[in-house]
Amino acid sequence: MLRSVFEWMAMSESSIALREAFNVYPWLLTSHVLFTSWFAGLIIMMDLRLAGIGNLSTPFAQTQKRLFPWQMLTMGLSSITGGLLFYGDPMRFYPNFYFWLKMLMMATAGVNAIVFHMTVYERALKRVEAKLADARSWVSWDFSGLVPFEARVAGLLSLALWAGIIVTGRMIAYSALVPQWWLDLGLD
Amino acid sequence: MDLLPFFQWMGTIPLSAYFLSHTWAAPIAQVIHLVAVAVFIGALVVVDMRLLGRGLTARPLADIARDAQPWLIGAFLVLLITGTPSLTSTALKQYYSPFFWWKMEALVLAVIFTFTIRRKVILADEARLGPVWPKIVGIVSLGLWTSVTVGARLIGLMG
Repeated sequence: MLRSVFEWMAMSESSIALREAFNVYPWLLTSHVLFTSWFAGLIIMMDLRLAGIGNLSTPFAQTQKRLFPWQMLTMGLSSITGGLLFYGDPMRFYPNFYFWLKMLMMATAGVNAIVFHMTVYERALKRVEAKLADARSWVSWDFSGLVPFEARVAGLLSLALWAGIIVTGRMIAYSALVPQWWLDLGLD
Repeated sequence: MDLLPFFQWMGTIPLSAYFLSHTWAAPIAQVIHLVAVAVFIGALVVVDMRLLGRGLTARPLADIARDAQPWLIGAFLVLLITGTPSLTSTALKQYYSPFFWWKMEALVLAVIFTFTIRRKVILADEARLGPVWPKIVGIVSLGLWTSVTVGARLIGLMG
């Protein structure tokens, strides 16, 4: 089922054109690496703050709010170049262990960010609006390294996932250095 | 001065032999290198963006810079450590790649700039910098390090 979708994509005229265009691949991959390093870099700087291990002189809410538009911009550029790399040669990625692991980690990182936003962060913001600032509230952790446990977990999880996404992204090139059971699936 | 003999020698040291005979050594060094690239770029761009009046503008420049400094330097050391075996074990390929020399020239300029002029400006009192110098320093820094990244990626792709 999934395989036929990938095959159909690979046979489309635009995919073939992209695949066969001279020097498009190296420049797409180079831009992808550049945009991804900017995006991941901005995410990492924010997560270090969230986990309470770095960038502590800026309150978390400020870091989050002010880096957010740049994270979205670089994520967009990274996704477009990554999407085109995929679209130009889907059948190269279909049997690739690290490609699927990377997709899984990206989905998990997305869910982690959304869950954090909708639970811990929302609650904390409401407390600020209600001016319920006490020693354990949002304001104190925002301005210090005393980050609540849930926020620390979300930050550390995000750091681990983004490191994993970079690792698996690079490992796509090593399509044979994978567990034997994966090769036994015979996806090629 | 011809550096070819030096590059030939690098290919023969035990470190290179180890990397060439152990399948996982090169990919492990490469993935650690790339994670360090992301940390380095993150620590670099938060400050460069601040110099350009973007991003973390609500805090003093020197605070942002001091926070980013250990991550910038730490990541740079990891880049040197992981980059060394990657270079020595493929020394002749690097020697004959125009992009390797592009990367190294950009790298030398970027390192000198980052640890002299940029360092002085980002730790200075903002009020005395005026509106123009921070922007110039931010643009030059982003340009130099982008050039390093682009050159580096093209070594493996276009020879």
